[in-house]
Amino acid sequence: MNSPLILAVPSKGRLQENAETFFARAGLDLVKPRGARDYRGTIKNFDGIEIAYLSAAEITSQLAQGAVHLGITGEDLIREMIPQSDQRIVFVTPMGFGHANVVVAVPQAWIDVRNMADLDDVATAFRHRNNRKMRLATKYANLTRGFFAEHGIVDYRIVESSGATEGAPAAGTAEMIVDITTTGATLAANGLKVVDDGTILRSQANLVAARAATWDDGQRATVRLLFDRIAAQRRAEAFREVRTRFPGMNDALLTAARETFGVVSPFGGPTSSGMLTLHCPPDKVHALATFLRERGAETVSVVALDYVYDRENPLYAKLAAELERR
Amino acid sequence: MTMSSHFPHSPRREPDPRAEALVASYTRGADNPYVRIAPPVLQPAEPFLDLGGEDIRRRMFLTTDPEGRELCLRPDLTIPVSCDYLASPQAGEPAGFCYLGPVFRHRDGAAAEFLQVGIESFGRQDKAAADAEMLALGLEATRQYGVDAPVIRMGDVALFGAFIDALDLAPVWRRRLKKDFNRKASLAHDLDQMTLAPANGSKEYQGVLAALNGSDPKAARHLVTDLLSIAGIATVGGRSVAEIADRFLEQSAINAPTRLPRETRALIERFLSLTGDPDEAASELRKLAADAGIDGALGAALDLFETRTGFMVTRGIDVRGIEFSTGFGRRIDYYTGFVFELHDARARSRGALVAGGRYDGLLSWLGARAQIPAVGFAAAIDDLIACGALRDRGQP
Repeated sequence: MNSPLILAVPSKGRLQENAETFFARAGLDLVKPRGARDYRGTIKNFDGIEIAYLSAAEITSQLAQGAVHLGITGEDLIREMIPQSDQRIVFVTPMGFGHANVVVAVPQAWIDVRNMADLDDVATAFRHRNNRKMRLATKYANLTRGFFAEHGIVDYRIVESSGATEGAPAAGTAEMIVDITTTGATLAANGLKVVDDGTILRSQANLVAARAATWDDGQRATVRLLFDRIAAQRRAEAFREVRTRFPGMNDALLTAARETFGVVSPFGGPTSSGMLTLHCPPDKVHALATFLRERGAETVSVVALDYVYDRENPLYAKLAAELERR
Repeated sequence: MTMSSHFPHSPRREPDPRAEALVASYTRGADNPYVRIAPPVLQPAEPFLDLGGEDIRRRMFLTTDPEGRELCLRPDLTIPVSCDYLASPQAGEPAGFCYLGPVFRHRDGAAAEFLQVGIESFGRQDKAAADAEMLALGLEATRQYGVDAPVIRMGDVALFGAFIDALDLAPVWRRRLKKDFNRKASLAHDLDQMTLAPANGSKEYQGVLAALNGSDPKAARHLVTDLLSIAGIATVGGRSVAEIADRFLEQSAINAPTRLPRETRALIERFLSLTGDPDEAASELRKLAADAGIDGALGAALDLFETRTGFMVTRGIDVRGIEFSTGFGRRIDYYTGFVFELHDARARSRGALVAGGRYDGLLSWLGARAQIPAVGFAAAIDDLIACGALRDRGQP
């Protein structure tokens, strides 16, 4: 029996819901055949794949070891937990949810600190004045070190923090923090502000692949099929189908439409009677319909697409190319 | 969770007889005998983290005791030896120590546990002689392994400090340039920034700075307090109102130049580009100081420099072969003066065989009430053995 492709999905909360929605849009229903509390699942009517429900941190470490093939986790965790992550992880695609920024924040009272250059100077002055280094509370020690080194800041100490990092300055256990934030509201409520150029990473949930996993032929075939479904849905979402038929519809007009509206004609140019099917970016649909009628079309119909399967499989092509590189 | 299977560790090996002989020779010392000590392998992590910066944390083996105190396997011996000296009845008196033992650091592609032999010398007021003695004893270490004429790289952190202090610079620039001395990329970047951009940066401050122009510290504190209360900021974390006000004051100082003048920048670059043997460098430095009209301010540092070179000559060191550079630093912030490294001439890229320098500020940082002069060095036994082995096999 072939061993299945393993996809690690967050085991709780909004991340799990969003991940399920992401796959459901591609017609992939994540199911737990043995009940909702099971930590293993499958995809309905899709063979060769096993879903592992894990915490975001576990997903990241399992990816690093190659114990799972694919995973859904925040870019922040990958960059923080996996050294040289670009060599070990393939970022297949961002997923459009779980947006959050990893930022440097300082007390609002530091009205003389706007940017990282100010912070650099303040940190050095602080050491001279207090004979100790400024403390920075964070659970992102590696991201912080890299970012501070880029800015040439050396006079600081990291204090590991596992929860409620934003409370550290008020509690007196650190002078500043690096933390994840979506709106900044929690930071503001704790009397903190984000340093102007202090955004270390704009993170979101990513579908990623582990280079170190075994990628046998069966698993490659499975992932190819899986990515084909996701890509087909992606492509469908990026276009509306526009149909029309009128005698003036010729190749010259099609070229003009391509250049003006970015349309594609997936089934070839207009027929002899001027029948044509176009795929048009959603925000250009109405302008295109006007354009076509001005040139003689009586009727233009527009419909949404469920899937557009193409010979190209860009997500798989990217993964395959990256796996070759090792 | 399973651990990565690749974990570099040293093979168990017999004590290296040449290292033992070397450390024994240090205890007999022709000029000064050094007392051999063996500080605990397990050390409090705090001093290493605070002095070494975050860069060292990545490479340290850290653990926590049941009471939550952070401990580490010693990543070097300078700090442990210094702590033992400070805890001893001799603290403050002249005293010298030598050691031979393992240190622990993550290193790419090399064993994380490796042997160091070294010396730390405390409390000697004859700094120039002590510096020269460290170089001579470091050379004995390479000689012990058959590396008779290593490349000697040398610098002097105190020269840069004295030079920067002598220039007419805003305090914020001075702090920054000194801090970046050990990071040449940052230094070049800073010089660009200072030449191009106004010193007090963002326009948002201009109102505050204008209001502060000519104020005294007390008035400045009132202004900052008012600003905070207008902004509805009740809590001040970490830094006091006085600290914030003082920094504004520094930036608003009357006549503070808004940019680094081009000629000052050129002078800094000329200073940093000086290389040569110590005698050449000293005369170049005297010339530069005279041109810039700062010979008075550089005098003491230069005198010490030249006296030190004299002691090296007395010890029979070929100073004409020393590669001195004003820009040479050791990426460790506690050095305050003389720094040096010994390299195998055929494999310079592999890092220093022996490295050391003067660190007069460290002991007071560690709790000494008065400043205690300190200088020392450490030699990497594994690298010396590797060099010696190459030589024994007759490789060029």
